[in-house]
Amino acid sequence: MEELFGVSMDIIMAVLLAVFLPVIAVVAFMAWRNPVMLKLGLRNIPRRKSQTALIIVGIMMSTLIMAAAFGTGDSITYSIRKNAIDALGTIDQIIVSARADESDTIGSFNYFPLQRYEQLKVELAGFDNIDGLAPGIGEFAPTVNTRTSLSEGRMRITGVDPDSLDGFGRFYLTDGREVRLETLGPNDALINEDAADELDAVTGDELVTFVAGSDVTFRVQGVVDGGGLAGRGPTLLIRLDRAQEMFGREGLINSIAVSNLGGVFAGAELSDEVTGALRVLFTDRAIAGQLQSMLNRQEVLEQLDLLRPSLGEKLARDLGVLAQGLGEVGMTDDFIGVLADEDVQEVVLNGVSRAGLADVERQASTLFAGLAEFRVLDVKKRVLDAADQAGSGVTSIFIVMGLFSIMVGVLLIFLIFVMLAAARRSEMGMARAVGAKRAHLVQMFIFEGTAYSLVSGAVGVALGLGASAVIVFVANRIFQTGGTGAPENFTMFTHFEIRSLVVAYCLGMVITLGTVGISAYRVSRLNIVAAVRGLPPPVQQSQTPFRDRLLAPLRAFARPVSLGATGLLALATLDISRGMGLLLRSALAAVTSPFGFLGAVIQALWVPMSHGWLTVVSGALMTWLGTASDEAAPLRIGVTLVIIGLGLSLRTLSRRTGLRPDVGDRIAYTFMGVGTLVFWVIPFSSLRAVFGEIEGGIEMFFISGIAMVAAAVWTVMYNADLLLKVLTFVTAPFGRLRPVLVIAVAYPMAAKFRTGLTLAMFALVIFTLIVMSILTEAFSAAVGDSERVAGGWDIQATVNFNTPIDDIRLAIDGKPSLNNQDITSIGGYTTIPVEARQVGAEEQRWRFYAVRAADDQYLLETGANLKLFAKDYGDTQEDIWDAVRRDSNLVVVDSLVVPSHRGFSDDEIPFELEGIFYEDTGMEAIDIEVREPRTGQVISLKVIGVLDRLTDAFGQLGVGMIASRRGMDEAIPFRIPTTTYRFKAAEGVDVAILSKDLEAAFRENGMESDVLSELVDNIAAANRAINYVFTSFMGLGLLVGIASLGVVSLRAVVERRQQIGVLRAIGYRRIMVQLSFLTESSFVVIMGVAIGVGLGTVISYNIVKEIQEDVETVRFAIPWIQIGIIVTIAYVFSLATTFLPARQASRIYPAEALRYE
Amino acid sequence: MNDPRSTAAVSALIYEKMPDSIITATGIHKTYDTGTVKVNALRGVDLIVERGEMVAIMGPSGCGKTTMLNCLSGLDEIDAGQVVIDGVVLHDLPDDERSDYRARRMGFVFQLYNLLPVLSAVENVELPLLVSGTKPSESRKRSMEMLDLVGLSDRAQHLPGELSGGQRQRVTIARALVNQPFIVWADEPTGDLDSETAGEIMDLMCKLNADNGQTFVLVTHSADVGKRAHRIVRMRDGEIVDHGNGQSPVT
Repeated sequence: MEELFGVSMDIIMAVLLAVFLPVIAVVAFMAWRNPVMLKLGLRNIPRRKSQTALIIVGIMMSTLIMAAAFGTGDSITYSIRKNAIDALGTIDQIIVSARADESDTIGSFNYFPLQRYEQLKVELAGFDNIDGLAPGIGEFAPTVNTRTSLSEGRMRITGVDPDSLDGFGRFYLTDGREVRLETLGPNDALINEDAADELDAVTGDELVTFVAGSDVTFRVQGVVDGGGLAGRGPTLLIRLDRAQEMFGREGLINSIAVSNLGGVFAGAELSDEVTGALRVLFTDRAIAGQLQSMLNRQEVLEQLDLLRPSLGEKLARDLGVLAQGLGEVGMTDDFIGVLADEDVQEVVLNGVSRAGLADVERQASTLFAGLAEFRVLDVKKRVLDAADQAGSGVTSIFIVMGLFSIMVGVLLIFLIFVMLAAARRSEMGMARAVGAKRAHLVQMFIFEGTAYSLVSGAVGVALGLGASAVIVFVANRIFQTGGTGAPENFTMFTHFEIRSLVVAYCLGMVITLGTVGISAYRVSRLNIVAAVRGLPPPVQQSQTPFRDRLLAPLRAFARPVSLGATGLLALATLDISRGMGLLLRSALAAVTSPFGFLGAVIQALWVPMSHGWLTVVSGALMTWLGTASDEAAPLRIGVTLVIIGLGLSLRTLSRRTGLRPDVGDRIAYTFMGVGTLVFWVIPFSSLRAVFGEIEGGIEMFFISGIAMVAAAVWTVMYNADLLLKVLTFVTAPFGRLRPVLVIAVAYPMAAKFRTGLTLAMFALVIFTLIVMSILTEAFSAAVGDSERVAGGWDIQATVNFNTPIDDIRLAIDGKPSLNNQDITSIGGYTTIPVEARQVGAEEQRWRFYAVRAADDQYLLETGANLKLFAKDYGDTQEDIWDAVRRDSNLVVVDSLVVPSHRGFSDDEIPFELEGIFYEDTGMEAIDIEVREPRTGQVISLKVIGVLDRLTDAFGQLGVGMIASRRGMDEAIPFRIPTTTYRFKAAEGVDVAILSKDLEAAFRENGMESDVLSELVDNIAAANRAINYVFTSFMGLGLLVGIASLGVVSLRAVVERRQQIGVLRAIGYRRIMVQLSFLTESSFVVIMGVAIGVGLGTVISYNIVKEIQEDVETVRFAIPWIQIGIIVTIAYVFSLATTFLPARQASRIYPAEALRYE
Repeated sequence: MNDPRSTAAVSALIYEKMPDSIITATGIHKTYDTGTVKVNALRGVDLIVERGEMVAIMGPSGCGKTTMLNCLSGLDEIDAGQVVIDGVVLHDLPDDERSDYRARRMGFVFQLYNLLPVLSAVENVELPLLVSGTKPSESRKRSMEMLDLVGLSDRAQHLPGELSGGQRQRVTIARALVNQPFIVWADEPTGDLDSETAGEIMDLMCKLNADNGQTFVLVTHSADVGKRAHRIVRMRDGEIVDHGNGQSPVT
């Protein structure tokens, strides 16, 4: 994994280390200078073992979550890389005909003479970076094992020249023996492991391969390890000359594999260089010269300059080389290399088009098409890059999902240290009383905190890696069930990069140390007398004059300078030790000055902010920024700040009236809480009505969760006494329980900060789990709607391109096992990869897309739902399908190429329509052009409809615009056989059996058939399973919440020892004491669960309503069982954690407790 | 240790001798064993307190006064001997029944006030009533009356942190008396108070003792407090050296 949220991991690591290492160094230095404080700080650790254990568990959790996220990202990156490397072996690039398209790694139709390979070998003889060139043929053909009767519809047939294998390694049988291709006879073949598995084939078996109506029999001479030339996926390996004969391509090949110098990984690093060199070699210099003079125009260069800033780093650099080369006399290799780059060509054509030179554009386009003879596909490098991207993507998702848990973890760390401070209060007060300075207290506290963090961070990272291993394990299980969109044979491997471990550890450490620092600072401000006597801290009013507070931020920066200057002065007067000491302090102050500055700024602004008016002003400013930029985050935070500011102003005002302060506060705080809650709960659509269209990503979910939960907890905590009254009233009839309840509610309500924090943690965790469950349910239900997804078809079947069926109805008649009566209709289409662009759009580059050329029956029978359609072509969806059928210039596109307001974009399909949004209520017909890559032929089409998202399960069952195949047949000079069939079964026919029969009957055509409803169920099940993985990952936060309750309870037992003695003295039984503790935890858990479930349900409802505008079948339903399980787990485990402290409390001996001070 | 037959016999004997005694303790031994050190806190103490009596237990620090109070009231276990309260052999009761007994029959006043800081004055006072199962409305009524009696009805809704030391101790007394106990145990009830407040507290306790006839057992350092009691029991090194009424202890 190379990047996180688009930032290089190296940079992240460097920044974290730059923060972490100096901080640790400073702490170590302080410890060395102050061994007494170190001792005082550390001696507390072994004293209370259970408390120490809980603290470590708590701190551990947030590191664990991060390490798990990173571990999963690394594993995915590594797995994709490993799968790719295993499949490609020593192959680094593949050379195919320039007419083959981008996605066509085996060349298929575009053959070229074998002689061309021989010439190339001579031309490249002096090129050191290439150590192997292998000419070959790659085709797909259905194959049957006669012994086992098992078949494989897409068997890859690879023809390899035994004399050109230098640099590609050798072939080894699975038992480790080497096998030489020279020994293969004309009817001998090797198969790879995948083929052996698929056909259950062993050495000596006879395999029959079907090609264009005839069949060829091979005898298996051995099973070889997959990878490299032996391929990944079922592959049959034969001699090149035999393959040429078999496919009727004597003297021709369709690909040349290139192996770079070095092993499987090292080869990829030379890829850029080799690809560049090969492109120069393949470029027709005369055409390049024509292009050079044609494009060397002022207006073109200007346009290219304008385009450059919007391009990626590499492309921008290439464009620079191109622009320079255009102005020069003659052509450098660099210039030719970039000119041959297809990405550069697209930009150039776009620039020419922007310059308004239509003629030049047309000519240049033609010249570019003839510029290169071959296309060089840097397959390995692309796959490795894709692996890195996927890894970063998944880590980002896990981190975002984990943000709540991490947030809860941070709250827990804070809570832990706040309580630790409370526990150490009298001790620290005593230390202050006998002369310890504030700095000493801070140090003492920091030493203790650092000790906890160092240990628990390490444990957390280790456990996090364990968690990611579990995630990998579960993911593998899910992949095995299929339907995830992950390629077949894809296996995940657990893998961690050292860098990720460092980042996870340092991130955890920095968060913890920051929290320790803040709580240490809080502790150091203690009032000595109050601390020693155990009294509540007196309310402190800032006495610092306003001017001083304003100057304080400047002073934070002045301090290191003045210390340094004094130090230098001392050195100048030869007072070496003092000078060095001062310089050291100056360095320390320089490190801490940014924090000091920040603190001083906050202090300076605190009073006007807390009076309210400044908060309102800054909130209004943010709101304005949000509306101006259409960004949701500043807008919503801004409005929230305005509400809080108004509440604070209300409080300030109430102080000036004769209102009792507590009543005034209650009104003000309740206003803030309820106002914020209401603002965040109102549906997005109402917000849009006020503020217009606003953009917000997944981070808004996080922010809204935090805001809502905070507001709810705030409101509850400030009105808890009312709650208490209600509870007292309700429990009045239960005599014995009352004394227990009174105590159980009074304590948490008295410690508002602590209870609020715990409550917030619980509520947040439950909130995320509920949202996740409800959304999983909603989506599964929608994706699982097979009727809708499959457009009314029952079975989907694909046949091999090389062995198509001419007339399926006729063919069925010829199969004794099948009956045409069982099938009411059969539709078929072929997917043709094309390039497309929109007429008159901003983007004029040709972008990859596909056409599904469908037959009349398909268009007549499909029930696929349209989200949008052009009213000029019909009033109903049926009219639109009818129009597409009748007029071969009309097409319907899938939802993947239509942008969305709500971030549902799909990056897999580069082509995107402009001027239309998925959420629109209607559309006008859109003119597009489609280019067939092999012929370069351009066809003009009109888009008159957009499929809804559910159709084909978000593209998982098929991608591409749907057009009438008659149009394509006319436009494209070669035959396009039907490769995909869809069947509707007659009433009463068992679809599963029909599907199996079809597959068996058309085995020779390589038919692979699936029951659509099963396929859809699989996809839904896989989606659900992946969501469960996410849910359980988020459930880690629940552990944090539970640990926090344990910490709080344990602390409570210690704090209340004496009071428990009193309770026992006045007649509380043991069980009553225990019950009161358990009830106290229950109170927090139940409140947390109530807030979490309530808010989670509300926000999910909003989200589902919002999604319904895109995907109507998404239904809001509450998964009661799942929520029940979550709530039960939360409750039972919380009680279990509190049980021990509660029992401990009940065992307190009254006489002893009363003596204890 | 506590053979029921022998204890019953002893009780019978005591009742014969002292028909009006409410507390009868015989041969109380209590040893604190910390693992390394053994402290003989009580070495065979005998004590009889009559119904309605106000007894002050005095002696130097560490002589076992508080231990004796804890053992007599059943807050602490004893190693040997017997405590009979109003005819009930206290340490024969299981923990739960002893808790209930305390809730119904006893009241406690401690030096450190020991009010629950999270409950208001009136809530603190009504706790013993709630524990003994009195109806909430009744509890509140009686607690308010009790606070009125100690002169704090206007502070009923205040938290302990908002009251002065004397006021807190008066709340503690109100709490100790609200369930109309037979016996009130007070450990250094004026220990933390200035002499004027201490005097007021003692006035209050003496008045309650006189009006209601409740038995008071006080542990104190203060000679002023001692003077207000009916008699002073003096202790030294875990033993009673003077019963304060010329009677020799029952053996």
